[in-house]
Amino acid sequence: MSLIDRYIAEVGRHLPEKDRSDIEAEIRSTLEDMLEERSQQTGKSVDDKVIVEVLEQLGNPRLLASKYAPPKRYLIGPGWYEVYVKTLQRVLFTVLPIFAAVTFIIALTENPLDFINAVGEAVGGVFNVGLQILFWITIVFVFLERSGEIPGESLRQKNLTWTVAQLPKLPRKRQISIAETVINIASILFVLIWIVLPFAIARFQGDPVPVPFLHQDLWNFWLPIFFVLMVLTLVHEVFQLKIGNWTPALTVTNVILGLSSIVFTVALVLTQEVINPAFLAMLDRNGASELREVATWSINISAAVIAGIYVWDIVNSIRLARQLAKENSYTVASMQNIGT
Amino acid sequence: MENDELVQNMLLELRRGVLSIAVLSQLSKEEYGYSLLKALANKGMEIDQSTLYPLLRRLESQGLLQSDWRIVDEARPRRYYVISTQGRAVLNKLKREWSTMAETMKQMLT
Repeated sequence: MSLIDRYIAEVGRHLPEKDRSDIEAEIRSTLEDMLEERSQQTGKSVDDKVIVEVLEQLGNPRLLASKYAPPKRYLIGPGWYEVYVKTLQRVLFTVLPIFAAVTFIIALTENPLDFINAVGEAVGGVFNVGLQILFWITIVFVFLERSGEIPGESLRQKNLTWTVAQLPKLPRKRQISIAETVINIASILFVLIWIVLPFAIARFQGDPVPVPFLHQDLWNFWLPIFFVLMVLTLVHEVFQLKIGNWTPALTVTNVILGLSSIVFTVALVLTQEVINPAFLAMLDRNGASELREVATWSINISAAVIAGIYVWDIVNSIRLARQLAKENSYTVASMQNIGT
Repeated sequence: MENDELVQNMLLELRRGVLSIAVLSQLSKEEYGYSLLKALANKGMEIDQSTLYPLLRRLESQGLLQSDWRIVDEARPRRYYVISTQGRAVLNKLKREWSTMAETMKQMLT
Protein backbone atom coordinates (compact mmCIF):
# COMPACT_ATOMS: atom_id res chain seq x y z
CA MET A 1 0.00 0.00 0.00
CA SER A 2 1.50 3.33 -0.99
CA LEU A 3 1.94 6.24 1.40
CA ILE A 4 -0.81 8.17 -0.36
CA ASP A 5 -3.25 5.29 0.01
CA ARG A 6 -2.40 4.98 3.67
CA TYR A 7 -2.82 8.70 4.21
CA ILE A 8 -6.19 8.79 2.46
CA ALA A 9 -7.36 5.69 4.31
CA GLU A 10 -6.48 7.35 7.60
CA VAL A 11 -8.46 10.46 6.71
CA GLY A 12 -11.40 8.35 5.52
CA ARG A 13 -11.42 6.31 8.69
CA HIS A 14 -12.46 9.43 10.61
CA LEU A 15 -15.12 10.61 8.20
CA PRO A 16 -18.82 9.78 8.24
CA GLU A 17 -19.50 7.00 5.77
CA LYS A 18 -21.79 8.93 3.45
CA ASP A 19 -19.17 11.54 2.50
CA ARG A 20 -16.18 9.26 2.71
CA SER A 21 -15.54 8.16 -0.85
CA ASP A 22 -16.27 11.63 -2.24
CA ILE A 23 -13.88 13.42 0.11
CA GLU A 24 -11.26 10.73 -0.39
CA ALA A 25 -11.42 11.24 -4.16
CA GLU A 26 -11.05 14.98 -3.72
CA ILE A 27 -8.03 14.67 -1.44
CA ARG A 28 -6.41 12.24 -3.86
CA SER A 29 -6.96 14.65 -6.73
CA THR A 30 -5.51 17.50 -4.66
CA LEU A 31 -2.45 15.45 -3.77
CA GLU A 32 -1.90 14.70 -7.42
CA ASP A 33 -2.11 18.41 -8.22
CA MET A 34 0.44 19.20 -5.53
CA LEU A 35 2.81 16.47 -6.69
CA GLU A 36 2.54 17.57 -10.27
CA GLU A 37 3.39 21.13 -9.35
CA ARG A 38 6.37 20.04 -7.26
CA SER A 39 7.81 17.94 -10.02
CA GLN A 40 7.38 20.78 -12.52
CA GLN A 41 9.13 23.22 -10.19
CA THR A 42 12.06 20.96 -9.49
CA GLY A 43 12.14 19.28 -12.89
CA LYS A 44 12.36 15.92 -11.18
CA SER A 45 9.95 13.04 -11.29
CA VAL A 46 7.78 12.31 -8.28
CA ASP A 47 9.55 10.13 -5.75
CA ASP A 48 8.76 9.08 -2.20
CA LYS A 49 10.63 12.04 -0.76
CA VAL A 50 8.33 14.50 -2.51
CA ILE A 51 5.29 12.49 -1.47
CA VAL A 52 6.36 12.67 2.16
CA GLU A 53 6.82 16.44 1.91
CA VAL A 54 3.44 16.95 0.30
CA LEU A 55 1.64 14.75 2.83
CA GLU A 56 3.29 16.56 5.71
CA GLN A 57 2.27 19.86 4.19
CA LEU A 58 -1.33 18.66 4.20
CA GLY A 59 -0.82 17.65 7.81
CA ASN A 60 -2.31 15.32 10.33
CA PRO A 61 -4.99 13.23 8.58
CA ARG A 62 -7.20 13.17 11.65
CA LEU A 63 -7.12 16.93 11.88
CA LEU A 64 -7.97 17.18 8.18
CA ALA A 65 -10.89 14.81 8.69
CA SER A 66 -12.05 16.79 11.71
CA LYS A 67 -12.27 19.91 9.54
CA TYR A 68 -14.55 18.14 7.10
CA ALA A 69 -16.68 16.59 9.78
CA PRO A 70 -16.54 18.65 12.96
CA PRO A 71 -15.74 16.35 15.87
CA LYS A 72 -18.71 15.29 17.89
CA ARG A 73 -19.15 13.14 20.89
CA TYR A 74 -20.86 9.98 19.77
CA LEU A 75 -22.04 7.08 21.84
CA ILE A 76 -20.45 5.03 19.07
CA GLY A 77 -18.87 7.20 16.37
CA PRO A 78 -18.11 6.59 12.70
CA GLY A 79 -14.72 5.10 13.58
CA TRP A 80 -16.34 2.19 15.38
CA TYR A 81 -19.89 2.05 14.06
CA GLU A 82 -19.37 -0.39 11.20
CA VAL A 83 -17.30 -2.74 13.31
CA TYR A 84 -19.94 -2.48 16.02
CA VAL A 85 -22.76 -3.50 13.70
CA LYS A 86 -20.73 -6.30 12.17
CA THR A 87 -19.74 -7.66 15.57
CA LEU A 88 -23.31 -7.49 16.80
CA GLN A 89 -24.58 -9.34 13.74
CA ARG A 90 -21.96 -12.04 13.98
CA VAL A 91 -22.37 -12.68 17.68
CA LEU A 92 -26.16 -12.60 17.56
CA PHE A 93 -26.38 -14.89 14.52
CA THR A 94 -23.98 -17.38 16.10
CA VAL A 95 -25.19 -17.42 19.67
CA LEU A 96 -28.96 -17.05 19.31
CA PRO A 97 -29.72 -20.06 17.05
CA ILE A 98 -27.57 -22.33 19.21
CA PHE A 99 -29.16 -20.97 22.34
CA ALA A 100 -32.67 -21.39 20.92
CA ALA A 101 -31.99 -24.98 19.90
CA VAL A 102 -30.49 -25.91 23.26
CA THR A 103 -33.32 -24.29 25.24
CA PHE A 104 -35.88 -25.99 23.02
CA ILE A 105 -34.33 -29.43 23.52
CA ILE A 106 -33.92 -28.99 27.28
CA ALA A 107 -37.51 -27.81 27.66
CA LEU A 108 -38.68 -30.73 25.59
CA THR A 109 -36.80 -33.28 27.69
CA GLU A 110 -38.28 -31.79 30.83
CA ASN A 111 -41.82 -31.83 29.51
CA PRO A 112 -41.88 -34.32 26.64
CA LEU A 113 -44.23 -33.54 23.78
CA ASP A 114 -45.11 -30.12 25.16
CA PHE A 115 -44.00 -28.28 22.03
CA ILE A 116 -45.82 -25.06 22.82
CA ASN A 117 -44.01 -24.77 26.12
CA ALA A 118 -40.68 -25.54 24.46
CA VAL A 119 -41.17 -22.92 21.76
CA GLY A 120 -42.20 -20.43 24.42
CA GLU A 121 -39.08 -21.14 26.47
CA ALA A 122 -36.87 -20.84 23.39
CA VAL A 123 -38.41 -17.55 22.24
CA GLY A 124 -38.32 -16.06 25.72
CA GLY A 125 -34.73 -17.20 26.22
CA VAL A 126 -33.62 -15.81 22.86
CA PHE A 127 -35.20 -12.48 23.72
CA ASN A 128 -33.41 -12.28 27.07
CA VAL A 129 -30.04 -13.43 25.79
CA GLY A 130 -30.37 -11.19 22.74
CA LEU A 131 -30.92 -8.18 24.98
CA GLN A 132 -27.94 -9.16 27.16
CA ILE A 133 -25.67 -9.50 24.13
CA LEU A 134 -26.88 -6.21 22.69
CA PHE A 135 -26.32 -4.47 25.99
CA TRP A 136 -22.84 -5.81 26.73
CA ILE A 137 -21.46 -5.40 23.24
CA THR A 138 -22.77 -1.85 23.18
CA ILE A 139 -21.09 -1.17 26.52
CA VAL A 140 -17.78 -2.52 25.22
CA PHE A 141 -17.94 -0.27 22.16
CA VAL A 142 -18.95 2.78 24.14
CA PHE A 143 -15.80 2.21 26.18
CA LEU A 144 -13.73 1.87 23.03
CA GLU A 145 -15.21 5.09 21.70
CA ARG A 146 -14.45 6.89 24.95
CA SER A 147 -10.92 5.53 25.11
CA GLY A 148 -9.94 7.34 21.92
CA GLU A 149 -9.40 11.08 22.04
CA ILE A 150 -11.71 13.27 20.06
CA PRO A 151 -9.94 15.00 17.22
CA GLY A 152 -10.33 18.38 18.82
CA GLU A 153 -8.18 21.02 20.36
CA SER A 154 -5.38 18.74 21.49
CA LEU A 155 -4.93 17.67 17.88
CA ARG A 156 -4.41 21.19 16.69
CA GLN A 157 -1.18 21.32 18.67
CA LYS A 158 -0.12 17.82 17.69
CA ASN A 159 -0.47 18.82 14.05
CA LEU A 160 2.69 20.87 14.31
CA THR A 161 4.78 17.79 14.83
CA TRP A 162 2.89 15.35 12.65
CA THR A 163 5.06 13.30 10.32
CA VAL A 164 4.31 10.62 7.78
CA ALA A 165 5.97 8.08 10.07
CA GLN A 166 2.93 8.42 12.31
CA LEU A 167 0.60 6.95 9.70
CA PRO A 168 -0.80 3.64 10.89
CA LYS A 169 1.13 0.80 9.34
CA LEU A 170 -1.83 -1.34 8.46
CA PRO A 171 -4.92 0.76 8.13
CA ARG A 172 -8.18 -1.11 8.60
CA LYS A 173 -6.50 -4.52 8.58
CA ARG A 174 -6.87 -6.32 11.86
CA GLN A 175 -5.17 -9.53 12.89
CA ILE A 176 -7.41 -10.01 15.89
CA SER A 177 -11.05 -10.59 15.09
CA ILE A 178 -13.40 -8.37 17.06
CA ALA A 179 -16.18 -10.94 17.22
CA GLU A 180 -13.78 -13.54 18.61
CA THR A 181 -12.50 -11.18 21.27
CA VAL A 182 -16.00 -10.18 22.29
CA ILE A 183 -16.97 -13.85 22.59
CA ASN A 184 -13.85 -14.45 24.72
CA ILE A 185 -14.76 -11.58 27.00
CA ALA A 186 -18.31 -12.90 27.32
CA SER A 187 -17.09 -16.40 28.19
CA ILE A 188 -14.68 -15.11 30.83
CA LEU A 189 -17.48 -13.08 32.41
CA PHE A 190 -19.70 -16.14 32.26
CA VAL A 191 -17.11 -18.34 34.03
CA LEU A 192 -16.55 -15.71 36.72
CA ILE A 193 -20.27 -15.39 37.33
CA TRP A 194 -20.69 -19.15 37.35
CA ILE A 195 -18.15 -19.51 40.13
CA VAL A 196 -19.41 -16.65 42.27
CA LEU A 197 -23.13 -17.23 41.95
CA PRO A 198 -24.90 -20.23 43.35
CA PHE A 199 -25.04 -21.91 39.92
CA ALA A 200 -22.03 -23.86 41.07
CA ILE A 201 -24.16 -25.30 43.81
CA ALA A 202 -25.85 -28.57 43.02
CA ARG A 203 -28.87 -29.85 44.79
CA PHE A 204 -30.73 -33.03 44.31
CA GLN A 205 -34.44 -33.07 44.67
CA GLY A 206 -35.32 -33.69 48.27
CA ASP A 207 -31.90 -32.74 49.57
CA PRO A 208 -32.40 -30.07 52.20
CA VAL A 209 -29.03 -28.31 51.98
CA PRO A 210 -27.49 -27.27 48.65
CA VAL A 211 -23.95 -28.59 48.15
CA PRO A 212 -21.31 -26.53 46.33
CA PHE A 213 -19.68 -28.29 43.41
CA LEU A 214 -16.20 -26.84 43.94
CA HIS A 215 -14.02 -27.75 46.92
CA GLN A 216 -14.45 -24.94 49.40
CA ASP A 217 -10.78 -24.98 50.46
CA LEU A 218 -9.97 -23.60 47.01
CA TRP A 219 -11.26 -20.24 48.18
CA ASN A 220 -8.24 -19.89 50.46
CA PHE A 221 -5.73 -19.66 47.68
CA TRP A 222 -6.57 -21.10 44.28
CA LEU A 223 -9.78 -19.34 43.41
CA PRO A 224 -8.47 -15.85 44.30
CA ILE A 225 -5.46 -16.52 42.04
CA PHE A 226 -7.84 -17.72 39.37
CA PHE A 227 -9.82 -14.50 39.65
CA VAL A 228 -6.72 -12.37 39.33
CA LEU A 229 -5.69 -14.34 36.24
CA MET A 230 -9.14 -13.99 34.70
CA VAL A 231 -9.34 -10.26 35.38
CA LEU A 232 -5.88 -9.75 33.86
CA THR A 233 -6.98 -11.79 30.85
CA LEU A 234 -10.10 -9.67 30.60
CA VAL A 235 -8.04 -6.48 30.58
CA HIS A 236 -5.77 -8.04 27.97
CA GLU A 237 -8.76 -8.92 25.79
CA VAL A 238 -9.94 -5.30 25.91
CA PHE A 239 -6.49 -4.20 24.74
CA GLN A 240 -6.62 -6.79 21.96
CA LEU A 241 -9.92 -5.30 20.92
CA LYS A 242 -8.48 -1.80 20.90
CA ILE A 243 -5.11 -2.46 19.28
CA GLY A 244 -6.26 -5.14 16.87
CA ASN A 245 -2.79 -6.38 15.96
CA TRP A 246 -0.21 -8.55 17.70
CA THR A 247 2.21 -5.81 18.66
CA PRO A 248 5.28 -6.89 20.69
CA ALA A 249 3.83 -5.67 24.00
CA LEU A 250 0.52 -7.37 23.38
CA THR A 251 2.19 -10.62 22.37
CA VAL A 252 4.60 -10.75 25.29
CA THR A 253 1.79 -10.15 27.79
CA ASN A 254 -0.29 -12.75 25.99
CA VAL A 255 2.46 -15.34 26.28
CA ILE A 256 3.01 -14.56 29.97
CA LEU A 257 -0.72 -14.73 30.73
CA GLY A 258 -1.12 -17.92 28.71
CA LEU A 259 1.82 -19.69 30.37
CA SER A 260 0.59 -18.62 33.82
CA SER A 261 -2.84 -19.97 33.03
CA ILE A 262 -1.41 -23.29 31.83
CA VAL A 263 0.79 -23.64 34.92
CA PHE A 264 -2.17 -22.72 37.11
CA THR A 265 -4.55 -25.19 35.49
CA VAL A 266 -2.12 -28.10 35.49
CA ALA A 267 -0.98 -27.44 39.08
CA LEU A 268 -4.57 -27.13 40.22
CA VAL A 269 -5.62 -30.44 38.74
CA LEU A 270 -2.47 -32.30 39.84
CA THR A 271 -2.24 -31.07 43.41
CA GLN A 272 -5.76 -30.19 44.48
CA GLU A 273 -9.05 -31.88 44.95
CA VAL A 274 -11.22 -29.68 42.77
CA ILE A 275 -14.57 -31.26 43.46
CA ASN A 276 -16.14 -30.87 46.86
CA PRO A 277 -16.02 -34.26 48.69
CA ALA A 278 -19.45 -33.42 50.11
CA PHE A 279 -20.71 -33.16 46.55
CA LEU A 280 -19.33 -36.58 45.69
CA ALA A 281 -20.81 -37.99 48.89
CA MET A 282 -24.13 -36.55 47.87
CA LEU A 283 -23.88 -38.39 44.57
CA ASP A 284 -23.31 -41.60 46.52
CA ARG A 285 -26.26 -40.93 48.80
CA ASN A 286 -28.52 -40.50 45.83
CA GLY A 287 -27.37 -43.74 44.28
CA ALA A 288 -25.49 -42.04 41.49
CA SER A 289 -21.99 -43.06 42.47
CA GLU A 290 -21.17 -43.99 38.89
CA LEU A 291 -21.20 -40.24 38.25
CA ARG A 292 -18.16 -39.91 40.56
CA GLU A 293 -15.86 -41.07 37.80
CA VAL A 294 -17.59 -38.87 35.27
CA ALA A 295 -17.20 -35.80 37.46
CA THR A 296 -13.52 -36.45 38.17
CA TRP A 297 -12.70 -37.16 34.57
CA SER A 298 -14.63 -34.17 33.27
CA ILE A 299 -12.37 -31.98 35.41
CA ASN A 300 -9.23 -33.58 34.00
CA ILE A 301 -10.46 -33.39 30.43
CA SER A 302 -11.52 -29.75 30.82
CA ALA A 303 -8.08 -28.94 32.22
CA ALA A 304 -6.41 -30.63 29.25
CA VAL A 305 -8.66 -28.80 26.79
CA ILE A 306 -8.05 -25.45 28.50
CA ALA A 307 -4.27 -26.01 28.47
CA GLY A 308 -4.50 -27.00 24.80
CA ILE A 309 -6.42 -23.85 23.92
CA TYR A 310 -3.82 -21.70 25.68
CA VAL A 311 -0.96 -23.43 23.88
CA TRP A 312 -2.66 -22.86 20.56
CA ASP A 313 -3.37 -19.23 21.45
CA ILE A 314 0.26 -18.60 22.45
CA VAL A 315 1.64 -20.20 19.28
CA ASN A 316 -0.86 -18.35 17.13
CA SER A 317 -0.11 -14.95 18.67
CA ILE A 318 3.65 -15.44 18.24
CA ARG A 319 3.17 -16.48 14.62
CA LEU A 320 1.02 -13.43 13.84
CA ALA A 321 3.38 -11.13 15.76
CA ARG A 322 6.30 -12.28 13.62
CA GLN A 323 4.24 -11.73 10.51
CA LEU A 324 3.44 -8.21 11.68
CA ALA A 325 7.07 -7.46 12.54
CA LYS A 326 8.09 -8.59 9.06
CA GLU A 327 5.55 -6.34 7.35
CA ASN A 328 6.57 -3.40 9.55
CA SER A 329 10.26 -3.86 8.86
CA TYR A 330 9.52 -3.43 5.16
CA THR A 331 7.73 -0.19 5.87
CA VAL A 332 10.46 1.08 8.15
CA ALA A 333 13.14 0.19 5.63
CA SER A 334 11.37 2.04 2.84
CA MET A 335 10.84 5.02 5.15
CA GLN A 336 14.55 5.14 5.94
CA ASN A 337 15.37 5.11 2.25
CA ILE A 338 13.26 8.20 1.87
CA GLY A 339 15.41 9.81 4.51
CA THR A 340 12.78 11.19 6.84
CA MET B 1 4.42 34.35 24.08
CA GLU B 2 0.98 34.40 25.64
CA ASN B 3 0.03 37.41 23.59
CA ASP B 4 1.19 35.69 20.42
CA GLU B 5 -1.22 32.88 21.00
CA LEU B 6 -4.01 35.29 21.78
CA VAL B 7 -3.36 37.20 18.58
CA GLN B 8 -3.25 33.96 16.61
CA ASN B 9 -6.64 32.91 17.94
CA MET B 10 -8.21 36.30 17.23
CA LEU B 11 -6.80 36.33 13.71
CA LEU B 12 -8.21 32.86 13.18
CA GLU B 13 -11.66 34.09 14.17
CA LEU B 14 -11.32 37.21 12.05
CA ARG B 15 -10.27 35.23 8.99
CA ARG B 16 -12.99 32.63 9.37
CA GLY B 17 -15.73 34.95 8.17
CA VAL B 18 -13.60 36.78 5.64
CA LEU B 19 -12.48 33.58 3.93
CA SER B 20 -16.02 32.64 2.92
CA ILE B 21 -16.42 36.00 1.19
CA ALA B 22 -12.99 35.72 -0.45
CA VAL B 23 -13.75 32.25 -1.78
CA LEU B 24 -17.18 33.22 -3.09
CA SER B 25 -15.73 36.27 -4.80
CA GLN B 26 -13.13 34.23 -6.68
CA LEU B 27 -15.52 31.63 -7.99
CA SER B 28 -17.46 33.51 -10.63
CA LYS B 29 -15.27 31.49 -12.95
CA GLU B 30 -14.98 27.80 -12.14
CA GLU B 31 -11.88 26.53 -10.37
CA TYR B 32 -10.72 23.30 -8.82
CA GLY B 33 -9.42 23.22 -5.27
CA TYR B 34 -5.75 23.61 -5.95
CA SER B 35 -6.10 26.27 -8.64
CA LEU B 36 -8.33 28.30 -6.35
CA LEU B 37 -5.74 28.00 -3.60
CA LYS B 38 -3.10 29.42 -5.96
CA ALA B 39 -5.41 32.15 -7.19
CA LEU B 40 -6.15 33.26 -3.63
CA ALA B 41 -2.46 33.13 -2.69
CA ASN B 42 -1.55 35.23 -5.74
CA LYS B 43 -3.94 37.92 -4.54
CA GLY B 44 -2.36 37.82 -1.10
CA MET B 45 -4.87 35.61 0.67
CA GLU B 46 -2.86 32.67 1.96
CA ILE B 47 -5.09 29.84 3.07
CA ASP B 48 -4.39 26.39 4.42
CA GLN B 49 -5.44 23.52 2.19
CA SER B 50 -6.95 21.78 5.16
CA THR B 51 -9.11 24.87 5.66
CA LEU B 52 -10.00 25.57 2.04
CA TYR B 53 -11.35 22.18 0.96
CA PRO B 54 -13.71 21.68 3.88
CA LEU B 55 -14.84 25.29 3.42
CA LEU B 56 -15.67 24.63 -0.24
CA ARG B 57 -17.76 21.64 0.75
CA ARG B 58 -19.58 23.60 3.41
CA LEU B 59 -20.40 26.45 1.02
CA GLU B 60 -21.65 23.87 -1.46
CA SER B 61 -23.85 22.16 1.10
CA GLN B 62 -25.30 25.60 1.91
CA GLY B 63 -26.21 25.97 -1.75
CA LEU B 64 -23.80 28.85 -2.40
CA LEU B 65 -21.54 26.82 -4.69
CA GLN B 66 -22.04 24.12 -7.29
CA SER B 67 -19.50 21.48 -8.13
CA ASP B 68 -18.94 18.52 -10.37
CA TRP B 69 -16.18 16.15 -11.36
CA ARG B 70 -14.93 16.96 -14.81
CA ILE B 71 -12.04 16.42 -17.17
CA VAL B 72 -10.69 19.63 -18.67
CA ASP B 73 -7.88 19.79 -21.25
CA GLU B 74 -7.34 16.03 -21.10
CA ALA B 75 -6.08 16.30 -17.55
CA ARG B 76 -7.15 14.12 -14.64
CA PRO B 77 -10.74 14.37 -13.49
CA ARG B 78 -11.01 17.16 -10.95
CA ARG B 79 -13.78 18.61 -8.90
CA TYR B 80 -14.66 22.04 -10.26
CA TYR B 81 -16.47 24.59 -8.13
CA VAL B 82 -18.44 27.62 -9.32
CA ILE B 83 -20.70 30.12 -7.56
CA SER B 84 -24.46 29.43 -7.74
CA THR B 85 -27.27 31.93 -8.33
CA GLN B 86 -28.03 31.92 -4.64
CA GLY B 87 -24.33 32.31 -3.93
CA ARG B 88 -24.18 35.38 -6.16
CA ALA B 89 -27.12 36.99 -4.33
CA VAL B 90 -25.53 36.24 -0.97
CA LEU B 91 -22.16 37.54 -2.13
CA ASN B 92 -23.72 40.85 -3.24
CA LYS B 93 -25.25 41.37 0.18
CA LEU B 94 -22.02 40.44 1.89
CA LYS B 95 -20.07 42.84 -0.31
CA ARG B 96 -22.28 45.73 0.71
CA GLU B 97 -21.96 44.77 4.38
CA TRP B 98 -18.24 44.48 3.98
CA SER B 99 -17.74 47.94 2.53
CA THR B 100 -19.80 49.58 5.27
CA MET B 101 -17.94 47.60 7.89
CA ALA B 102 -14.56 48.40 6.36
CA GLU B 103 -15.50 52.07 6.21
CA THR B 104 -16.58 52.07 9.87
CA MET B 105 -13.47 50.25 10.99
CA LYS B 106 -11.25 52.63 9.05
CA GLN B 107 -12.79 55.59 10.84
CA MET B 108 -12.48 53.86 14.18
CA LEU B 109 -8.89 52.87 13.77
CA THR B 110 -7.50 56.14 12.42
